[in-house]
Amino acid sequence: MASGTATNADPDQQTVRSNSVEQFYFPRPGQSLPGIPPFFGPPSSSLYLANDNEAKVGNQLEPNPSQSTDWDPQAIVSNLTFLEQKIKQVKDVVQSMSNRENQVASGSCEVAAKQQLITADLTSIIIQLITTAGSLLPSMKNPLSSNPAVRQLSNTLGSPMGFGMNANQRPSVDSKTDIPDIGKASGYEELINSLNTTQDERDELIKGPNPCGGEGSEPTPMEDHDVKESDDGDHEGENLPPGSYVVLQLEKEEILAPHTHFCLICGKGFKRDANLRMHMRGHGDEYKTAAALAKPTRDSGSDHAPVTRYSCPFVGCKRNKEHKKFQPLKTILCVKNHYKRSHCDKSYTCSRCNTKKFSVIADLKTHEKHCGRDKWLCSCGTTFSRKDKLFGHVALFQGHTPALPMDDVKVSEASEQQQGSEPMNEISRSMGCFPCSSSDGISNLDMKMADDVRGYYSPMSFDPCFGALDDFTRPGFDISEDPFSFLPSGCTSNNETSRVNKGSNVPPLGLWKWTETLSDFSH
Amino acid sequence: MSREGQKLDYAAAGGNGAGGVGIGVLSLDLLGQVLDRLREPRDRKACRLVSRAFERAEATHRRALRVLRREPLPRLLRAFPSLERLDLSACASLDDASLSAAIAAAGAGGLAGLRRVCLARASGVGWRGLEALVAACPRLEAVDLSHCVGAGDREVAALAAAAGLRELRLDKCLAVTDMGLAKVVVGCPRLEKLSVKWCREISDIGIDLLAKKCPELRSLNISYLKVGNGSLRSISTLEKLEELAMVGCSCIDDEGLELLSKGSDSLQSVDVSRCDHVTYQGLASLIDGRKFLQKLHVADCLHEIGQRFVSKLATLKETLTALKLDGLEVSDSLLQAIGEGCNKLVEIGLSKCSGVTDEGISSLVARCTDLRTIDLTCCNLITNNALDSIADNCKMLECLRLESCSLINEKGLERIANCSPNLKEIDLTDCGVNDAALQHLAKCSELRTLKLGLCSSISDKGIAFISSNCGKLVELDLYRCNSITDDGLAALVNGCKKIKLLNLCYCNKITDSGLGHLGSLEELTNLELRCLVRITGIGISSIATGCKSLIELDLKRCYSVDDAGLGALARNAFNLRQLTISYCQVTGLGLCHLLSSLRCLQDIKMVHLSWVSIEGFEIALRAACGRLKKLKMLNGLKTVLSPELLQMLHACGCRIRWVDKPLVYKDC
Repeated sequence: MASGTATNADPDQQTVRSNSVEQFYFPRPGQSLPGIPPFFGPPSSSLYLANDNEAKVGNQLEPNPSQSTDWDPQAIVSNLTFLEQKIKQVKDVVQSMSNRENQVASGSCEVAAKQQLITADLTSIIIQLITTAGSLLPSMKNPLSSNPAVRQLSNTLGSPMGFGMNANQRPSVDSKTDIPDIGKASGYEELINSLNTTQDERDELIKGPNPCGGEGSEPTPMEDHDVKESDDGDHEGENLPPGSYVVLQLEKEEILAPHTHFCLICGKGFKRDANLRMHMRGHGDEYKTAAALAKPTRDSGSDHAPVTRYSCPFVGCKRNKEHKKFQPLKTILCVKNHYKRSHCDKSYTCSRCNTKKFSVIADLKTHEKHCGRDKWLCSCGTTFSRKDKLFGHVALFQGHTPALPMDDVKVSEASEQQQGSEPMNEISRSMGCFPCSSSDGISNLDMKMADDVRGYYSPMSFDPCFGALDDFTRPGFDISEDPFSFLPSGCTSNNETSRVNKGSNVPPLGLWKWTETLSDFSH
Repeated sequence: MSREGQKLDYAAAGGNGAGGVGIGVLSLDLLGQVLDRLREPRDRKACRLVSRAFERAEATHRRALRVLRREPLPRLLRAFPSLERLDLSACASLDDASLSAAIAAAGAGGLAGLRRVCLARASGVGWRGLEALVAACPRLEAVDLSHCVGAGDREVAALAAAAGLRELRLDKCLAVTDMGLAKVVVGCPRLEKLSVKWCREISDIGIDLLAKKCPELRSLNISYLKVGNGSLRSISTLEKLEELAMVGCSCIDDEGLELLSKGSDSLQSVDVSRCDHVTYQGLASLIDGRKFLQKLHVADCLHEIGQRFVSKLATLKETLTALKLDGLEVSDSLLQAIGEGCNKLVEIGLSKCSGVTDEGISSLVARCTDLRTIDLTCCNLITNNALDSIADNCKMLECLRLESCSLINEKGLERIANCSPNLKEIDLTDCGVNDAALQHLAKCSELRTLKLGLCSSISDKGIAFISSNCGKLVELDLYRCNSITDDGLAALVNGCKKIKLLNLCYCNKITDSGLGHLGSLEELTNLELRCLVRITGIGISSIATGCKSLIELDLKRCYSVDDAGLGALARNAFNLRQLTISYCQVTGLGLCHLLSSLRCLQDIKMVHLSWVSIEGFEIALRAACGRLKKLKMLNGLKTVLSPELLQMLHACGCRIRWVDKPLVYKDC
């Protein structure tokens, strides 16, 4: 079934491509301007065909027809395919142009005409891109006209795009009148206006020599797949349209089997195909030929072989092909890991923490690498699993510093000398040097973080947004964590002055000249 | 009180001293000015001792202090309240407790003016002492913590509280990691100079944070770090960076230099010596972006040099003043190109460059007439012709290093001596020069450093020539000049009284009477007498009593030196900090006497002291325990010395190097 869709989709692509080739690879001299209308014509008509096809395929795939009227991913996908084709066309044209310019010095008007062709094509692609993007937004009956976000999008997109284009805007202007669906017209108008605002003057200039675009109908395809398709169709990472790949579904037993390559003769399993091929030699001379032993080449059939994706055998899983938002898995390994992680018991337990369980042994190993490691701690109390994350945080917030791991000696010693540290607390409290918000302070204290109480409270660490919280009092500050407590009591007064002067600007004395500046004190 | 009255007061106060009333009538300010003009600490001390007025003037006027022992520290800090610079790098047995106590004794505001503190090699000081120091010195701007190998994140974090810090040296603080660095850069956002040389735990992450948090940075040293190109990307964002040293950063390559070249134009000096993965391509791209580069050190990192690099070098014509190409294979054409491209060069280093010839040097110096320092160490192809062209072109020459250039002789040196009146330093080690050469060199009256090692043909006559005119000589190296006798030394001390560093190793004709002459060198600080088998305790006594400034003394393999020598040292050499007495004929008694008396002694090497018993070692080391920082002993002692002693030594920050050598007596 799936392969059927793929083959169905292929011929369409072929036809579209051949159209474009016919049109642009061999532009007849002097005919390039009249050649524009057919360019806007045939591709769109071929697109209609393609859409019809796609719709049929969609119906085949989707047993519930009501679904397709309500929500139609196939249509979106075909739309995307269309855009893809368009871009290919432009690429081809540009390439052929550059080739030609290299070979023959063609007439300047011809070159200009070709440029116009390209820009026209670009315009249409951009318009369709925006429309399609709008149609992808969920919960809208009429996305383009009603959603301000989309309007904004088109505005912002419009101006730079318009700036990039240097020629014909005619088709898009004309398209206003040609759009059959009035409901969308206002959206289009906005979009096109935004595209044209910077181009009006140039349009005027171009109108004369380029009276084309009467049949500029490239917006029309949009009506086919627009209003209804508002949801999803977006696959994580890759946007393979359904039908462009073959879906394979392995059985549960197959997935959980330790070996993936089985001998067709004796049934022995192997982890690697190469090993299987080596094994096969034992079954007869016919397996010993160079061809049989050679690695199956990829490029032999890669051009025509359909792309393969995998489905999870677990019914109801999003990775199962029956799911309406089916997201295929890329490789067999993905299937294996997904199935084990999502639908199997987590039988591997971390021997260090005894809490974390895993069903894939590689996940356990990854976890064990980090389990029990020091948490990276910031002075604000936030912890990080990685040092670079902590440093990124520190770089971002003024006054935050990394906290050093707790030093047991320090705490015990400090608690012995609680009395000595009391004046220091008084001083710091009276000065109100608490840049943190109260919640920060509490978390900080709760962390039992002996480190850097001073650095954190020093005037240097005043965070602008916390500056107003001078009257913040320290709730339940643990005296035993005061880093100054080891000091003799005589030092406290010095501390006070140091705090006052810390911010003052002291001019530098000179360079690194310790030895020269310091004279010897002999005795 | 009127000014006149003040003067009278001081006159009265000074009246008792030998300085007399004349000095006493001058104001404190004036006396301070007088003191400031005294260069030698010795002279200042004499003034201080002779007159109370001077003593008082110095007390209020003194800005810098270097303390050698911890006991007087509290008293000194109290006595000099306006100190700005404090050097504790040589302070024996300084630890947290003594530092904190001294700071407390200085009292409130006692250290308020302190701006620079040097704690290099003060391995006993930990985070507690540093926290006390930082708390007491609110205007602290510069801290040198280099070679405190035990210092880690906690120590550095203590420094981070000094928010005004501008300069910080953390060389070889081995335990400092990214965390410690992060503490500093967050706490001291105004840092301008930072050296984290050898702090091998610091990574790209730390350097990145540094670049983000310290935009004022002007000088950065990341030598021998395991950082990669990512760090250079971060560093390139520093707008004011002028100096960047990254010696031996093997993870940095051309890509990093290219990233660096995209930074601001402030960079003036770059040192990429020993960066194995840097090639001339990367340097070319670096130069391309830096039109104002003044110093470029690329020693031992380039294997070849391409035309692109040379042409880029020429774009620095106006600015480049120093270029070091040590270890590179150079050609005449390259030297010529450098000469043409960079004719503002003041310093060129071609040490160990193969392929340096007379022609190359001639074409180089023909254009670079401003050269003051020329390093041709081991360029053994050059002859007198090169010296002639140097002498003819570089009239400003101050420093010439010619070690192992054995093709030169007195004729070339004559030209140099005649044409370079400013010559201050010349290295002729292993050049085989003779007395005639010294006769010519004696014309250079500005000579400060003279290295004549391994020139065995030099005799007392040559020394006499030098002594006759080079009165400013500070350093003299006579390593293995074994024709020199006591008479040579007598001649030397006659003329060169300023000598501070003297190397006489293996000059085995020297006897006690020669050392007797050396005793008149009052300023001598470093003396190496290795393998002078004829000297005894008597000679050592005359040195110990005469050379009061002696800091380092090497007596290895002076087989005749006995307890009498050590006793003399113990009684007189109070400034002695490093001592080598391996293979000497000393006993436990002498060792105990020595170690218990010398309060500044920090580093002692005593391998193969065969006459010292285990108990002798034990008692001697216990006596010196708190002060020693480095110890070199025979491995066999490791097991027989008491573990408590070793623990105690370790706790005091003493590192013991155990060596395993057979006892071989050799006569040079």
